[in-house]
Amino acid sequence: MAYKPQYGPGTSIVAANRRKQMNPGQKLEKVRSVTDEDIVLILGHRAPGSAYPSAHPPLAEQQEPNCPMRKLVKPTAGATAGDRVRYIQFADSMFNAPSQPYQRTYTECYRFRGIDPGTLSGRQIVECRERDLEKYAKDLIETEMFDPALVGIRGATVHGHSLRLAEDGMMFDMLQRDVLGEDGVVKYVKNQIGEPLDRAVAVGKPMDQKWLKAHTTIFHSLVGTSYRDDTEYVEYIQRIHSLRTKYGFMPKEE
Amino acid sequence: MMNATFPQVRIVPLRMLKPETAERLLNMLAGIAGIRRMMIHGPGLPKKVPYGPARGSPNPHSDRRAIHVGDAEIALRIAAGEIILEVEDASVIEEIRSLCDGFFTGFSYQLQEGRFMKTAPTLVDYAKYGPRADTMFIGLADPRNGEGPVLIRTER
Repeated sequence: MAYKPQYGPGTSIVAANRRKQMNPGQKLEKVRSVTDEDIVLILGHRAPGSAYPSAHPPLAEQQEPNCPMRKLVKPTAGATAGDRVRYIQFADSMFNAPSQPYQRTYTECYRFRGIDPGTLSGRQIVECRERDLEKYAKDLIETEMFDPALVGIRGATVHGHSLRLAEDGMMFDMLQRDVLGEDGVVKYVKNQIGEPLDRAVAVGKPMDQKWLKAHTTIFHSLVGTSYRDDTEYVEYIQRIHSLRTKYGFMPKEE
Repeated sequence: MMNATFPQVRIVPLRMLKPETAERLLNMLAGIAGIRRMMIHGPGLPKKVPYGPARGSPNPHSDRRAIHVGDAEIALRIAAGEIILEVEDASVIEEIRSLCDGFFTGFSYQLQEGRFMKTAPTLVDYAKYGPRADTMFIGLADPRNGEGPVLIRTER
């Protein structure tokens, strides 16, 4: 019988959302629409419409060594063209944001090719070839993995994921890259590293509390689903903890 | 040495306050007699981008602005997260509680009693202000920063 990955334990809605995001067979719901030019502006790696700078000649123009792995693995579009490696970084609020750093890394590893994710407690960065990055970034921003108020696209100075929200429901950002307009739409006024943009980039309206609670992948006992309520998850984590502790003693059979 | 028996309280709203809200709250608090010292605490809003490739470039932020409390102008350079108060006696705490109960209607808040502000000079304070520093001002402002505390006078 073919192996079917389970993606993760748990019976709660949070666990189900985690599995849904990780499973590449499940199509993620598209919630908003952002143009390619807007993505390029937020990323801030190149001017919109300009050519992709390259790190090496296209693969077709250079001699490839006779390597069985290279024959086996098809290069991504960015690698074929010899693009530079660039990044996007997200900070996710603990107050029911739709994704979180570890979840993002798992999801990206299951769904995308040619990536190098970096996972930290409050932020998650993913690096890849520039034109692949723009494609992946569009997926990450347009689908249910993003919320304009609770997820920040922050290349540097990411502080805010664990802080209380502002009065208008926005996650704290000391560089104020995104602002909630009077029309209720969140607009990016700076790129991800904090340089002002020539024009504001709209990323849609913040989702309501009900939607967030139903789509979050973070347990939170005060504002969302409590971890203790998911007994299957607790049992799983206790099993892992128990096994790794026992293995620390290097048990040997006599 | 300052009398260490003055009670201290901390107002912690569930949300970070906007400058306008903080201004309204502080003006209401300034009207209460018996508040000795007050400190606004929260994450900083730097004038320049502190990290990353854009380090050193200006950082425009709509929440970093001056607010007026009583007759004083306070240059707010943080997002107001909590307000720490030192009061004359326990009766003032109840007055603050009833004021906050009326003020925080959109979201909740906590009023915590404890010790949140310095009551004696530390080594850094000693190095900065010397042995005869006014203990009233100790702990109200960062000794490494040029800005001092603000004195608020209100009509009572």
